[in-house]
Order: sequence, then structure tokens, then C-alpha cells
Amino acid sequence: MDLYLGVDVGSVTTKFALITSDKKIYSSCYLKTSGDPIAALKTGLKYIQSHYPSGGVIRGVGTTGSARHLAGVVVGADMVKNEITAHAVAAITLLPEVRTVFEIGGQDSKLIIIRDQVVEDFAMNTICAAGTGSFLEHQAVRLGIPIEEFGKLALQAQQSVRIAGRCTVFAESDMIHKQQLGFGKPEIIRGLCEALVRNFINNLATGKTILDPIVFQGGVAANQGIVQAFHDFYQGKYKIIVPQEHGIMGAWGAALLVLAAKQEKTSFQGFEVINRSYENRSFTCDDCPNSCEIVVLKEENKVKALWGSRCGKWIPELVDEKFSEKEEKTLSFSKNS
Amino acid sequence: MVLEVLYPALGIEIVPPPPITKKTIEIGVKLAPQNACFPMKVTLGNFIEGIEKGADTIFMAGGVGPCRFGYYGQIQRIIIEDLGYDVNFVLIDSPRYGWKNFFSSLKTMVGGKWSISHIHRAVRLAWNVLRYVEELEKTSRLVRWKLKDPSQLDRLIEKSLKEIKNITSVVQLEEIRSNALHEISQLNTLEKNEPIKIGIVGEVYIAQEFRVNFNIEKLLGNMGILVDNSVSTAEYVLNFFPLTRSREKEEAWKLAKPFLKRFVGGEGIDTVGSTIRYAQQGFDGVIHLYPFTCMPEAVAKSIVVGVGREYNIPILHLAIDEHAGEAGMITRVEAFVDVLEMRRQQKVRKASCS
Ligand code: SF4
Ligand code: SF4
Repeated sequence: MDLYLGVDVGSVTTKFALITSDKKIYSSCYLKTSGDPIAALKTGLKYIQSHYPSGGVIRGVGTTGSARHLAGVVVGADMVKNEITAHAVAAITLLPEVRTVFEIGGQDSKLIIIRDQVVEDFAMNTICAAGTGSFLEHQAVRLGIPIEEFGKLALQAQQSVRIAGRCTVFAESDMIHKQQLGFGKPEIIRGLCEALVRNFINNLATGKTILDPIVFQGGVAANQGIVQAFHDFYQGKYKIIVPQEHGIMGAWGAALLVLAAKQEKTSFQGFEVINRSYENRSFTCDDCPNSCEIVVLKEENKVKALWGSRCGKWIPELVDEKFSEKEEKTLSFSKNS
Repeated sequence: MVLEVLYPALGIEIVPPPPITKKTIEIGVKLAPQNACFPMKVTLGNFIEGIEKGADTIFMAGGVGPCRFGYYGQIQRIIIEDLGYDVNFVLIDSPRYGWKNFFSSLKTMVGGKWSISHIHRAVRLAWNVLRYVEELEKTSRLVRWKLKDPSQLDRLIEKSLKEIKNITSVVQLEEIRSNALHEISQLNTLEKNEPIKIGIVGEVYIAQEFRVNFNIEKLLGNMGILVDNSVSTAEYVLNFFPLTRSREKEEAWKLAKPFLKRFVGGEGIDTVGSTIRYAQQGFDGVIHLYPFTCMPEAVAKSIVVGVGREYNIPILHLAIDEHAGEAGMITRVEAFVDVLEMRRQQKVRKASCS
């Protein structure tokens, strides 16, 4: 059986999807990255290895997400794709008539406009936290409610209370204020969900024509409170679909892309990766005032890849001797967390 | 760059400002008013670094209102004086506002010791150097997308830019020029046809200065894309003089007319006009680069969105300032290129169906 593996390593979560050549997901997992992408990669690979069809052969690997290059080197990717394209491809495969994709993850959010199965426009928010999952998690902690309960509670609200959610800081103080006024937790949570939706629309949708059906994906799509808030925002006029696979759409998209590329040989490193030792460090190059933050990936103590140099002088083939010169500096390497 | 040539030819020692680095930007951001435009912050950082290296005269071109560029030179001068540096500040205004001012500024710049013919020769050399640097950039845009190993091109360019630092005559320049162009033409290329074509429009500093726009031209070229940049410093200078505006510029302004009738400052009109020109020339997409708080470009942006709809050409708007992250920008650019590729495939599919 021919299989294709998609890996999506974001700063908050890491996702894996193993698919068959008919584009179906055979197995998948969703983990916290917890600041250590390599550990997350190994855990994910272990999971896939134990949920693997007998007689299956991985024919291709695609990576995506903010750590896509790192993941690509470690796992051995045939294709390294940006997360916007990966998410779009997954949504189009799931629902060919899709015209808009909302994706809200832990650290960023995206809006993708699709017409006739082709991406027409997109927007991505990477700066403002008020439109992402971390905003909700933060407030959940404040309210002492597990994030999993958040959505359900929001649905219990009898009425909504408007929370000024332009930015996280304001939202927080306004939330406390509303609590003191005597609003219950469900109302406040519903207010927060609505604030997030408003932020999302204000930040990303200005000047864009949103048409349905909308596919809503990313970790936050699990939150029924947010889904409801989107419905309310569009006064129930738009068809909004939350796919069952909403959490792993990026990984699925990466797998679909590598499947579509039909390449003959794969660079997949195999499940041995789980047992290899990796070191992911960074140091500041002080050879010129650019002070580039160079990220070094070592595999079994050998430099495998480097990123972050503006002038391009740090490449593995040339680095070994330069490196021994700098080796003492390696002492001051801080573990990349 | 050009000033470095102008000064030695005039017999004045020149302290070239060190290339723009993260540190330059940090200095500028720290010293400039927080709501100043990004280009003003970067050039301020540049001046300070130049002064630290020993420069005693600073030369800056003044811009044309109604945007804030017009008084940036003044603010920069005040900031630098407040810091206690003892330097001359020469503001060169567009001769559109009087040739007398223009020449007296130039004269102060060179210390008043030189004859007009001497100045003329130096200016001519500097001008030719500027043209050559832009020619190099243009040539690399034309070939980069099909090169087997683009890093060879980087090395050739670097070498040539080093060589022109010490020249004193146009003849020397010409020799370096023909050598470099010949070497570039000899580079190994791949068999490729019909590359994706992207045009760059936007504010002159951000669209032109590769050290602040994350070298977007190189990034695209290395991805196999043919890039054209509508913005040119030489053009910008020419535009200072009433009679030397180029045909392309006139054309862009004419094209922009139906969408934007009034001068909005900066390069607002050019951004709109060049976007239309690219659309008419069959480019696959346009990337609009501008400083985050730039007013003329904000006006242009809202108009360009309509142009994109009317001409059915995708446009990626990238706002750049000290907070812009490289990773996020690369992700957007890559996704944009995917969009253009998908559109091409769709066109082929549609054509083969009908
Ligand atoms: S990697 Fe290159 S550009 Fe970056 S600090 Fe070192 S020498 Fe400078
Ligand atoms: S053109 Fe834009 S960036 Fe330049 S000075 Fe004017 S407002 Fe500022």
C-alpha cells in the first residue's frame, strides 16, 4: 500500500497525517510542540509507526508550518510547503465548492479566499494575538475554566455581553470589569468568543469578499462558542463547515501536495529518526553588525543544516572548520527553546 | 553608493556609511520619533553610523510634499544636532523649486572649492555609477530565474560592486561594466520556458533597498521567478528635474489617471500606474511593497485593490517596518507564488477544455 506522510510543525502544536493514495487519512495525531519541535516530531513519528498498515510503504513526505524547514531536514521531506497553500489544498479536497477558509491556530490565523478551486487571495495574522487561540487560552486560565469546556459554556449564555477585545490587554481588563458588574461566566465567555471573531474579521477580512461555504479549520475550530459566534456574526446566512479533521488540515494538505507531485523517490529518513540524536541550538554570529541568529541542527553530532544567515555564509559543507574555531563559543550556545 | 564615487572624484575624502544592518535599524528606531516612517528611521541610523565612522558632512535629498518626506531632513538634522554631533547638513531640494538653491547646496557639499566643470565631471561619474548599479540589478533580474547556481551570480555582483569603489573615470567604469556583463552572460542556465512573472511596485526606498525588504528580488529569483521592479533610484533622481522624466514614468502616470487624479505624495501614482502597466503586459502578479505607516502608499493600496479586480491580476501587499518578521514575509511570498502557479495551471486546463 502506498502511503504519504504530512507533517505540520507550528510553534504551539505539531500535527501528523498519514494518507493513502486515494487521499484518505489512515492515521493522524495532534500534539503540543511545547517549545521542542524535535521531541514533538519523534513522538509523532512513534505514533504513526504504531498506527501503520501492514505492508504499507511511505512514498513521499511533505512538511509545513512555521518549523517546516527544520521538520523537512529531520524527517526527510520531498516537499516543504507554506501553511497557507497546505491549508487551502486540504479544504479544497474536502469540499471542492469551498469559497472561504478560516483557519485559527494557537499563534496565528489565516483567511483564504478560494474561487473555482483556486486560491484567489489570502491574509495571515502573525502579530496580533487577539485573533488567535492563545487569546482564548489565556482568558480561560484567568477564568479558571479548562479550555475544553470553554465552547460548551459559551453556548449556555442567555445573552451576550460586549467585551472590548481589540487587544489582549484591553480584553482582560474589560472582562474583569464585566465580571464585577455581575455577568456570569457563560455570558463573559460568549462575549470573548464574539470579540475574537470580530478581531479576526477586522484584521483579516477587510477589503475581501467572503462567500460561503466557509470551511473553518485549525485547533480553535473545536470551540463551539467560536463557531456559534461566526454564525451569529453572519446572522446565520452563511454555511460554515467544521471538518472532523479540522485540527490536522495543514498536515493533511502537506500529504496531499506530496501525493500530487508524483515524484519517484522519497527522501524519507524512515522511522529510525526516532532513535537518532538531534541537537537544535542557536547562536549569534558576530562577524558583522547584522548579528544573525543562526540556528544549527546537529544529527548524531554532525552539523546537518543551518538557518538564519543573511549573507549565506553558514552552510554545512563549509561550516566544520569554521565551527571548530567557534567551538568554544558553542559553550555559550543556549538550548533553543 | 553613488555618493561614495562622487566624493573621491571631487577630491574629498568620503566615509561611506556602513551597509544597513540590524544595528542600523535599531539605532534609527531608537532615535527617531516613534511614528516616523520606516525609511526615515533607517536613513537616520545610516547617518549616525556614518558619523561614528568620521563623516563631517551629511547630504540628503529632500522630497516633495504633501507627504512627510519633505521635512524629514529637517527632523533628522535636529535629532543629530541634539545628540551633540558637529556635522554639516546639506539638504538638496528638487530643482523644480529653483536651480539656485540646488547649485548652492551642491557647492556647499563639495566645500565650495571646485569649479562648475569639476563638479560636472564628478556628478557625471556618480550618475553613470548609479546607472550601472541599476543595470546590474536589472540584468540579474533577467537571468536569476534560470540559473543553475544563483550563488555564482551573487559572487559576480559582489566582485563588481567592490571594483567600482575605487574608480575615478567613466572609462574605468566602462571596462568593469563590460567585464561583469560578459561574465554574467556566461553563467550556466537551465532549460526553462515561460517563467512566472512578478512586478514590484511601491515606495521607492522599501521597494529598492534590498537590505530592508529582505531581498525579495533575490528570494523570488531563486524560486525561478522573473522579477521586474518598477521603482528605480535613477528614475527617482530624474524625476527631480522637470524635463527628464522617463517614458515609463509618463506612461504610468497616464495609466493611473482614471483611478487617481491627484498627486498624493511619494510614489502613490506610480504604484497605481505601474500595477496597471504590469497587468497589461501580461505579468502573473504584482507585489506592492511599502512602509507600514506610509500615507501615499495607503491611498495607493486602496486604489490598487480595485485595479487588481478590474484587470484580474493578483496583488500581494507587504507592509514593512521594524516589526516585520522575515519568516512571515517569506510564507506570504511563497503562498503568493503558489497562487500564481495554480492560476496558470487552471488557465491551461480551461484552454484545453474549450
Ligand atoms: S551570518 Fe553573515 S550577515 Fe549574518 S552576522 Fe554573520 S556575517 Fe553578518
Ligand atoms: S512616501 Fe511614505 S514613507 Fe516616504 S515619507 Fe512619505 S509617507 Fe513616509
